[in-house]
Amino acid sequence: MFLTKLAIKNLVRHRNRSIFTSIIIAMAILIYIFFDSLIGGMSELSYETIIDYESAHLQIVDKNYWEAKDELALDNLFTIDERVLEGVKNLTGILAGSRELNFSALLSNGIDNLPVMGKGIIPEEYLKVFALEKQFVEGDIFQPGDYKAVLGKRLAELLDLGVGDYITLLVKDNNNTFNTIDVEIAGLLHTSNPNVNQNIVYLPLDLAQQALSVGEQVSKILIRIENKDQASRLAEELGLNLIKANSNLAVYSWEELEAFSFLGAAVLEKQVILAIILVIAAIAIINTVILAALERLEEIGMMKAMGLQNREIVYTFVLESTGIGIIGGIIGIVLGIITIWFLSVYGMDFEALYGVDMASFGLPILGKIYAAWNPAAFIEVFVFGVLVSLLASILPAYWAADKDPVESIYHR
Amino acid sequence: MALLELKGVRKIYRQGQIEVPALRGVDLQVDEGEFTTVFGPSGSGKTTMLNMIGCLDKPSSGTIIFNGKELNELSKKDLAMIRRFNIGFIFQSYNLIPVLTAYENVEFAIRLINKYDNKEIRERVLKILAAVGLEGMENRRPHELSGGQKQRVAIARALVKEPKLVLADEPTANLDSKTSEEVLKVMVKMNKELGTTFIFSTHDPLVMDYARRMLEIRDGLIAEDRRREEINVSD
Ligand SMILES: Nc1ncnc2c1ncn2[C@@H]1O[C@H](COP(=O)(O)OP(=O)(O)O)[C@@H](O)[C@H]1O
Ligand SMILES: [Mg+2]
Repeated sequence: MFLTKLAIKNLVRHRNRSIFTSIIIAMAILIYIFFDSLIGGMSELSYETIIDYESAHLQIVDKNYWEAKDELALDNLFTIDERVLEGVKNLTGILAGSRELNFSALLSNGIDNLPVMGKGIIPEEYLKVFALEKQFVEGDIFQPGDYKAVLGKRLAELLDLGVGDYITLLVKDNNNTFNTIDVEIAGLLHTSNPNVNQNIVYLPLDLAQQALSVGEQVSKILIRIENKDQASRLAEELGLNLIKANSNLAVYSWEELEAFSFLGAAVLEKQVILAIILVIAAIAIINTVILAALERLEEIGMMKAMGLQNREIVYTFVLESTGIGIIGGIIGIVLGIITIWFLSVYGMDFEALYGVDMASFGLPILGKIYAAWNPAAFIEVFVFGVLVSLLASILPAYWAADKDPVESIYHR
Repeated sequence: MALLELKGVRKIYRQGQIEVPALRGVDLQVDEGEFTTVFGPSGSGKTTMLNMIGCLDKPSSGTIIFNGKELNELSKKDLAMIRRFNIGFIFQSYNLIPVLTAYENVEFAIRLINKYDNKEIRERVLKILAAVGLEGMENRRPHELSGGQKQRVAIARALVKEPKLVLADEPTANLDSKTSEEVLKVMVKMNKELGTTFIFSTHDPLVMDYARRMLEIRDGLIAEDRRREEINVSD
């Protein structure tokens, strides 16, 4: 108890040095919290942008199609019969489903061409699964049977197109013969998903099926569910239901998409930051303990003369350092809360700040990133900082405690 | 039986290639309750002898028996425990802990022996501080005390746990003669009242007057060992 009191008195003894060390630790903690919430914010955003505009929560696809889904080939499509629909409808937790026919095409304005991804959709179904309805900056969606298309405003700008203009899509149909689709632009979209903005052209499903000679077949059924955390479970259950109808079909959840793999990289990044905190905090603490010990050599010598054991002297130093770690941790957390609050309300515009397009890093993000709250990270990094402070002080404290008391007292 | 016995104690310091003999065969017996001065010029080996008696250092050869135990055979930990319970130190430079008040500096020593409850600790600390003449200064930090007052705190700290032996290495060297006298009187008084054995070193002839036994040390050897009649110290 007395040693604890002594440690606390020592902590406030060199107030400036203690505070300085605390602030170093606080800054390291703040950096971690900042990155953690930003990575959290990016993940949130990219989950949303991919789920809301591209992948939905679940996809019903032919197994062979899934293997090579990026090729957008026209084999391994499937027809929807009653039994498939039954399998989907009989599951609680599912909100809506939508058919989609994917194909590759060359978009032309008559002068220039751009490769695009075509999507044949039924608007009524599609808008229940995807959040496109409010993203129209001009015009509107088409109706089944229309010779009309919807595309991203960016894509339109690249080809100098606007609502009411005509475009031609060059496609290769199921018989490997070239075919063209001539349609009028019905509406232009702008979303937070760069793929939707500059790569995709939406067409009525019947029109696409006809042009590609695939009959009634589609590539996928996309499904929106109530709770995205239930995706894996529902995928499994739905898969079992569908096997009876068509044994080639399988159900995949959004988590299985490669687009989310960058989050693994983010976790690695966090560990790197933790390692940096470790080094910074450890150096600060070791430095502080050594300075304090050198200053207090005589006292330490006296304490040994009074019969204190080495470990008791170590205890006072370790406690002092832990105190510094706790103060640093608290300052770091408080600054972290302020920063995160600010960034969660106002967001951070990477494009405006650095002129970088996150999409070019493979992050499907446009516009501002808003910090995400992650209280677990606060607790983790606090405990981590305090623990590092504690552990880093042990060795230099032993060094100090092991000094010869005669030499310390007599300055020999 | 003697409280302390030194037999053929030698200490050789090595400085690179050179060997410095600090003690060259000291034989000595000290009984309980004695008040002994170790007198000798600077470099004669006083500090070396006191540190070895105080379990802070080990002899190069020879044996020291303290309180029935042979110190050579003990581990660092055991030696620390002997210092904690049985030996009080007073140094020339006071060595108080600057962040602690006078009261706390003394309290520290008595807390270490884990023998008394809080109330008793408080009584004992206040009593010993009053006995060394520091009543009313309990809450001062060392930097708020004069040299003589600091040394009184150090004396109180050494005595509060009622050790068998108090070792004082030139306790008055940093004090003027008037203050030195006062501090010595306090030590004599405590020796009388508590029966604590004192060994203190000095190179100041004036200070010797207070001792009943005087060891003169020269070049690492005891040159003279004189005892005197009881001296009366007036307050
Ligand atoms: N750590 C040491 N290393 C080398 N020589 C030392 C050391 N300590 C003391 N000495 C030498 O031992 C002798 C006795 O020193 P000391 O015991 O301090 O004498 P005193 O206390 O009487 O002045 C001196 O010659 C001193 O220089
Ligand atoms: Mg000396």
